[in-house]
Amino acid sequence: MLREKDMNEAIELKISLPKIPDIELVALEGLQRLASYLGISEDKIGEARILATEAIINALEHAGAKEVPVDVVLTMTKKKLVIFVRDYGKGFEPDNVEEPIIEKKLGTNKKRGWGLKLMKTMSDDIIIESGQDGTKITLIKNLA
Amino acid sequence: MNNDFKLKSELVNDSLVMKASGYVNNVGGETIVKEFEKHFNNGTTNVIIDLADSKVVNSIGISYLLEIIEKLMEKKGKLIFTNLDSAIDKSFSIMGIFHFAEKAPSVDAALKMME
Repeated sequence: MLREKDMNEAIELKISLPKIPDIELVALEGLQRLASYLGISEDKIGEARILATEAIINALEHAGAKEVPVDVVLTMTKKKLVIFVRDYGKGFEPDNVEEPIIEKKLGTNKKRGWGLKLMKTMSDDIIIESGQDGTKITLIKNLA
Repeated sequence: MNNDFKLKSELVNDSLVMKASGYVNNVGGETIVKEFEKHFNNGTTNVIIDLADSKVVNSIGISYLLEIIEKLMEKKGKLIFTNLDSAIDKSFSIMGIFHFAEKAPSVDAALKMME
């Protein structure tokens, strides 16, 4: 049985993901186990799963050299999850990313590009730091 | 967490029912579209996609499903998603998918909506 003190302390999972197909599932497995350890129910981590997935696939896509991994840190308490994802690609300017609109996507070959919108809408806070040495995305999701 | 993607499909009362299981990523999305196209080319325009066993999706996989919406719009067809996990439901809402598709709590309910 976990003590109250333990339940309120943050637990952290750090992983370095190589660019191989579906590697984001490793982080999702970790997320699931952290939540299970803290007694957080499945319905509360559904959106967190989507946030982690989108942040990681976005990073993997823009990570630059194939041999350079994407770093992920998941920090969880019973009340809050912080997802930190870092790539070492060439960076991007978040303000220059056009907001996707489904009506404009239909009938074109450019149907992708939803990750940032999903992250912004589903998270309780998002911090993007991007430059020539890569991008760091921090997503905060309240779980309480 | 078993996320290997699998797809089963059957025709029920002229509706194509596709039951996906596992991770709907680019491979999963493409698999769904290919299965849809086989039936669409034979005249099927009522489509149900059941995601009861798909708890993990990504936006690339969902983007593929926009191709189904496009083709069904041309033929005035209907697309209904069933058994959506609440987070996936929210993703679809954010993307605006429910402007062009419907949702139902079960395949049976969706089949009634097709009548």
